[in-house]
Amino acid sequence: MSLADTQLHEPTRKPTLLDAAEERFPLRLGVEIQKVRDLFRTATRNQWDPRTDIDWSALDDLDLDDDHRTAARMYWSRRAWSEYGAISESPALLIRFCQERREPDLRYFFTIRTQEEARHAEACYRMAEKLGGYFEQPALVDFQKSVATHGVRKMALDPETPLEAIIASLVCAAEEVAFDVFRHLVEITPNKAANQVLRSIMRDEVRHCGFGWAYLEHRIPQMTRGEIEVCERAVITMIRDVEMNGYHSAWLAPESDAMRGEVEADRLTWEAGLGATVEELEKPVFVASVKSIRERLAPLGIAIPTFTHPKFDGPV
Amino acid sequence: MPGVGARDFSGEIPVERRFPLHLEPAIGTIHDLYDQAKQSRWDPERDIPWDQFVRADYPPETMAAARLSWSRKAWLEYGGLPETPALIIRFCLEQQRESDPKYFLAVRNTEEAWHLECCHRFAEECGGFIEQPASPGYRALFNQGLHREALDASRSLDAYVAAHVAIQDGLDLELCRLHCDSTRDPVAREILERLYSDKLRHTAFGWLYLNARASGWGEAERREIAAEVEHVVHNVELAGLRCAWLAGDAAADIVRADRITREAGLGAATRDEEEPVLERFLGASAAQFGRMGVEVKLSP
Repeated sequence: MSLADTQLHEPTRKPTLLDAAEERFPLRLGVEIQKVRDLFRTATRNQWDPRTDIDWSALDDLDLDDDHRTAARMYWSRRAWSEYGAISESPALLIRFCQERREPDLRYFFTIRTQEEARHAEACYRMAEKLGGYFEQPALVDFQKSVATHGVRKMALDPETPLEAIIASLVCAAEEVAFDVFRHLVEITPNKAANQVLRSIMRDEVRHCGFGWAYLEHRIPQMTRGEIEVCERAVITMIRDVEMNGYHSAWLAPESDAMRGEVEADRLTWEAGLGATVEELEKPVFVASVKSIRERLAPLGIAIPTFTHPKFDGPV
Repeated sequence: MPGVGARDFSGEIPVERRFPLHLEPAIGTIHDLYDQAKQSRWDPERDIPWDQFVRADYPPETMAAARLSWSRKAWLEYGGLPETPALIIRFCLEQQRESDPKYFLAVRNTEEAWHLECCHRFAEECGGFIEQPASPGYRALFNQGLHREALDASRSLDAYVAAHVAIQDGLDLELCRLHCDSTRDPVAREILERLYSDKLRHTAFGWLYLNARASGWGEAERREIAAEVEHVVHNVELAGLRCAWLAGDAAADIVRADRITREAGLGAATRDEEEPVLERFLGASAAQFGRMGVEVKLSP
């Protein structure tokens, strides 16, 4: 092919799952992973409604100065953006389950998982509104990067990214850390409405994590060593380059005005008892979470090393 | 059966610009539907009186028919599982789309899973779920690849809602009502009542959304909407996706099964019953689109 020929052609677009036509049949709908089907049924029985199941009156007549109120509004707005990311992205995984005709239990479970993410976004939005008003966007452009996606949608639709690696890194690592932090927040947040929101989200998140572990335990025995190593690398990347770069915990992010603003908002919100935490309290939670993930993945043949970070004295 | 299979995918999906992120209610009627849906939650395991179904009360040929009729319901219901997540993503990717549809669709997808679970389980109760249509031609009609169309940046989102929500979900609702009206079996009846109740909201969402958007449409958008609506009516629905008697020989087994299932009061309808419902629905839909300035030809 000559240079002229190459210039006449459009750049090659990487194929995605959407390029393949739908092939619905034969349609398997029976139970294949009992634990995941049970999670779907438990989720069905445990739905809640942010509008009616939270005691919003606990946010009336709060004695807050402007700094603490603004910080809390920002904290809950940020949490709403983060939950919204899951509404916008996790449905791509359901498309993948359908397109690849994976175990039917995954498809059932993910329909309700997306609904739960919507409830979480709604609850966080309502918190921000009750505290004085939701912020539609971060104050600093830099900060937009820290609430940007981990590229779930792109990965989910990329047939070359193994599904098991996505589940291992996104669910068994990132969501597990998020769950542990939620549990910690429930323990330390005194305001009743904030605590109810955090507790309700945590109860959903425990199933989200349970899904990931159940799926990995089901799939690992059917995978080759090479495939398991792909999962291992994905988990390491998620912990080292995403979580330890401040994805969930701002104090782990590289120094910047955006990072300092976020850490300060967290501290003021925590002081007000409205639902955030601070570095000194969260640090041991994070360390324990990574340790727990490492121990749980080891029997599955996924070896996670220790990590270093300037915020920690020793290896994590 | 003049239907067509999946159409081409352009390869492009819209590019997201997340901020400013509007999460406030923007279309009150759809936000109300979302709130209603959360309050109307139910549980297929607990709210359907499964133990009241007595298979031995029905002759084997009736059970053979019912398992096919209910398997077909499951094949149809399954379509929502990949389609709705794609539609949610599309609403999230499109610039400045309202928050209410995203919330509402998140609940709709769960309801679709419950519908699927019920139809599958009832087919199992009747003798076993059948995994696919017998005819390859009829199978192809289900493989429309709607998740690709929902995400395809070259297709209008409003046209998608018009064709696939207002029309296809709307027809689905009318047929569900018809099937329910003649159902005497308590389990089948309860399932269809539950489905109908959810589908009322699914269809209302489509029309309410179009009503909210219609004033912003130009002539090109109206033409695109009309073309998409006419496509799904003529190439998909009138090819027999939901009204199997329109599919000719390709679905003759289903038409026979539905007649027997209907006679037994187990949740189906005959051609004689469905035909006037279809005609009325298409006429009413054409009139409704006409009021929005979209002229469509929908006659069977």
